[in-house]
Amino acid sequence: MKTEADYYALFDAYRSGGLAGEERTTLEHRLAADPELARRLQEFEEVTGTLTAYGRRLALRRKLHAIHADMDAEQAVRLTPLAKVAEEDERHEQFANGRAPRPLLRISRTEEKLRAFWHGHRATMMVAASVAVLAVFTTLLGLEMYRTAQKPSLYGYTVLRREVERIKRTQRNMNRALNQMDTPPTEKINPGKFSGTGFALTADGYLVTSYHVIQGADSLLIESRDRQRFRAEPVFTDVAHDLAILQIKDKSFKGFGKLPYSFKRGQSELGERVYTLGYPREDLVFNDGSLSARSGFEGDTGFYQISIPVNPGNSGGPLLDDRGNLIGIISGRQMDVQSAAFATKSSYLMRLVDSLGTAGAGKPYNMSRTNQLAGTSRPQQIRKLQDYVFVVKVYE
Amino acid sequence: MGKGQPSYTDEEFVAAIRRDDDRALAQLYRLHFPMISHYILQNSGTEDEAKDVYQEGVMVFYEKVRDGSLELSCQIKTYLYAVCRRLWLKRLTEKTRFGGHLDDHEPYLETGAEADLELAEERDRQLGTMAQALDRIGEPCRSLLEGFYLLDKSMQQLTAEFGYTNADNAKNQKYKCLVRLKKLFFNQYQEQI
Repeated sequence: MKTEADYYALFDAYRSGGLAGEERTTLEHRLAADPELARRLQEFEEVTGTLTAYGRRLALRRKLHAIHADMDAEQAVRLTPLAKVAEEDERHEQFANGRAPRPLLRISRTEEKLRAFWHGHRATMMVAASVAVLAVFTTLLGLEMYRTAQKPSLYGYTVLRREVERIKRTQRNMNRALNQMDTPPTEKINPGKFSGTGFALTADGYLVTSYHVIQGADSLLIESRDRQRFRAEPVFTDVAHDLAILQIKDKSFKGFGKLPYSFKRGQSELGERVYTLGYPREDLVFNDGSLSARSGFEGDTGFYQISIPVNPGNSGGPLLDDRGNLIGIISGRQMDVQSAAFATKSSYLMRLVDSLGTAGAGKPYNMSRTNQLAGTSRPQQIRKLQDYVFVVKVYE
Repeated sequence: MGKGQPSYTDEEFVAAIRRDDDRALAQLYRLHFPMISHYILQNSGTEDEAKDVYQEGVMVFYEKVRDGSLELSCQIKTYLYAVCRRLWLKRLTEKTRFGGHLDDHEPYLETGAEADLELAEERDRQLGTMAQALDRIGEPCRSLLEGFYLLDKSMQQLTAEFGYTNADNAKNQKYKCLVRLKKLFFNQYQEQI
């Protein structure tokens, strides 16, 4: 009986071709007849085959390591300054050959670290950066949108000066489209940027209007109902109560004449019937209603709330009661409430005028104390009033 | 890429490697290393990882060539790129930090790299088992077998080295060792499968 090692010796000889003819054929016959023996041969071959392959693999790995080490060494040599010239030459040669030179990495230790960091965290950093950029722009855009949304009405409060330019422009465009005439451009009268309403304070050329009408104005023009124009200048403004006092500076101005209305110093009662005149359009417009509250927007006690439908351009208009007393100056309205307009109380105007008078700024104010409107009908009152209400045009 | 070295075409490379031409292998190795190194560095790898992956890739290629089983349907460069890309993808998934995402384009070429890699993996497992078996077989079998099969020493040399009285003794010892190795190898190999 043979041991397995003996069989292996036999197989080894068989595989290396060391078996003579007769022995060989005997073995082959046995292999064909005995599957156990065939399996042994197979195992033997697998083990020796794997061993050889393993040997080759190790040899190859050594070879590749050697090649790589060679390459690294060469690169190290290249990096020394002495070898630079040679390297340059070789580069030229490579270019001449049409081959791209191998990229050489000459980087410091810190840069190496930075690069490693960058490679490791590139994706994260890019995401972070884009999120940051997105956040910045969303914030900016959001703020901008918020601001534009707030612009026309601060907390729902709208001041009522009229943007003349916008209206005029659309009107002009419409006219041009309608006429379609090639008329040479005639000298245009600058219509002003904004307009509001103002009314006479004294007979000698002082006027009252709302502060926001003349806000940011370069020059002011007062236009009466009969198209007379005067240049005016602001004398005093009260931002908190939205008041402005103007003075007409034209030499040609002769005075308004005696004012038909008087100024009320006290408070008016709730439910009092009130009316206003103003220039929300090119013509004088009358509107009436009642005094609905003795405080203004968000409880501001400097203002009345009135139920008069007012429009841009009404700002600065006089608010009068039934007896022809001036009780307020139209200032603004609340957007989200039905017909809630606000007017500065006349008592604040009086207090302002008084303080100016005692301070001795300019000429004393000769306030009218008599009232020619009491007891007359509305149309009569208005007929007398209309010459004392003006358009205030603002140029920026 | 020293001066005066011959430059090969792809076919010449394959033929030269089949002839066991080490210079061709070295040149091939140098030729494509920058590409793979660049690629690995671009995809959050290090210089060392690039070297490892590239060497593995070259080994796959080399062994296919030596087997004669290589059916190259594209450039060697593309083949190497595909193989190394796969290998790197595998390593990245093992690292799991990036979930195996690669910042590149898949070469839509039939490189055969996929199938070749599976074969290579199977082979790696086999060779790994062999290495373990050799580790466990003990002396002097280990040195004897390594000397004969891995270092290609002749029986005469080994007889002298190990102090056997004649070559037949050494041979007998070798066969005994082979039987032991076979047992170890098949036991482990079957366990793994």
